[in-house]
Amino acid sequence: MEASRSDESNLSPNRDQRSNLNPAHNSMISSGQVWPTIDGPLGLTEEASVDYARRFYKFGFALLPWLWAVNCFYFWPVLRHSRAFPQIRNYVVRSAIGFSVFTALLSAWALTFSIGGEELFGPVWDKLVMYNVADRLGLAGLA
Amino acid sequence: MDRNQQRPRSSILDSLGEELIGILTPVSICMFTVVLLVCLLNSDPSSSSSFSSIATAAYSETDSDSPWDKLLGAFLNSLVFVAAITVATFLLVLLFYLRCVTFLKLYMGFSALVVLANLGGEISILLIDRFRFPIDSLTFSILLFNFSVVGVFAVFMSRFSILITQGYLVVIGVLVAYFFTMLPEWTTWVLLVALALYDLAAVLLPVGPLRLLVEMAISRDEDIPALVYEARPVIRDDSRLVQRRVWREQRSNVNDDDVENNVVRAEEEEEQRSEEISVPLIDSSSSSSSRPETFLEGIGLGASGAIKLGLGDFIFYSVLVGRAAMYDLMTVYACYLAIIAGLGVTLMLLSVYQKALPALPVSIMLGVVFYFLARLFLEVFVVQCSSNLVMF
Repeated sequence: MEASRSDESNLSPNRDQRSNLNPAHNSMISSGQVWPTIDGPLGLTEEASVDYARRFYKFGFALLPWLWAVNCFYFWPVLRHSRAFPQIRNYVVRSAIGFSVFTALLSAWALTFSIGGEELFGPVWDKLVMYNVADRLGLAGLA
Repeated sequence: MDRNQQRPRSSILDSLGEELIGILTPVSICMFTVVLLVCLLNSDPSSSSSFSSIATAAYSETDSDSPWDKLLGAFLNSLVFVAAITVATFLLVLLFYLRCVTFLKLYMGFSALVVLANLGGEISILLIDRFRFPIDSLTFSILLFNFSVVGVFAVFMSRFSILITQGYLVVIGVLVAYFFTMLPEWTTWVLLVALALYDLAAVLLPVGPLRLLVEMAISRDEDIPALVYEARPVIRDDSRLVQRRVWREQRSNVNDDDVENNVVRAEEEEEQRSEEISVPLIDSSSSSSSRPETFLEGIGLGASGAIKLGLGDFIFYSVLVGRAAMYDLMTVYACYLAIIAGLGVTLMLLSVYQKALPALPVSIMLGVVFYFLARLFLEVFVVQCSSNLVMF
């Protein structure tokens, strides 16, 4: 009974040595699986995941830290089982780092803005704050 | 000896609760959020007259008209709206027939982007304005941009995290529903009833556009490219677990297809032998009318046996409850219970008839009836009881 080793030919997603998988039939059914996505057996297979992880990582550079966060959320099992999926893990870890850095910067700016208020910024604060901008551009009306 | 075992066979009752919850939860979350938004943002009733859309094209209600005028105007508005919906649905059927699937998917993604960015941005600005939240425009625009682009990914890409896709669909439903609650009052109620009737006709009549759409989708074994909420397929934890894919397009891995189809067919035969009302793999997607943004209504069974509910249903249930919230919370409770009861009835009918059904009529009719009953009779009763300290 071969353990499902290759990435390509079948659905079995992992190389976990305790599963005695008959790759064609029972691979989806028995427990002890480690699927790369958080959806488990309903999600992606491993080789498709690499493609997805890479695309999410690359798209996240277009000022999309939320996409990086979604990447980490979606491939959460990859982060938890640190030895299972080296290729995917590469991208997911980098997405996580990118998300943390971006969030730190953005929240630093946002907190400075909201806590500092007018004392720190002077009249510029009124020009930058959202509800005034919305009033000026007429965005607060509907339809 | 079967009695001694804990669960000799899993029956439909084991997974029925989970499947029902899988549909009732997002509907309830959508309704709750719309009620919350209505309560937070609608403190002045006079601002409702500024909203203009295709649903008020024929007549815009003002406070000074007589009830008969308002009713007539509401009828005209609903007629115009239902006609627009019919035209749009037939257009959708035509495009699907001509196999312009990429165009439809692009349009779906585009409409999701418009809803999330435009409507989402406006509602966020309203909330910020109401609470005077000191966020600056740069942060706000980055957050909005992120939110909408990832939403478009979630809607557009066929394989994405189930939870995030479901979350975004609920958010889109909430945003559109909130905007529809801004319609004038009489128009809203007549429109809801008109749409319920239209849904009934469009799904069940042989010439109805949605029935044509569903039949085409079944015969071609494709998904309808529209905004449809699909509940997570229930995995029963007995030995007859089925690998049920949520999505049916698997052109890339042919091996997986064959294996999976064999497995799935075997499971299905086994289940049928054991005479359960199992959920077969009818890929009758949900059917219904489509807004210009290709929302669908109606309820059906996905290829995986998961229950699919069109986003239009979410929207109009929430519009009903949101409009009830504009009167009082008591009507909200009454309408919520009526809609959930109607949805339960529809799901039961779905399991009996095993084909795509309109999800609007039963719930909307019950909801409208209960709203007027609560408003006319229940309120008087409750107020009298409370003011005399008898009850409540």
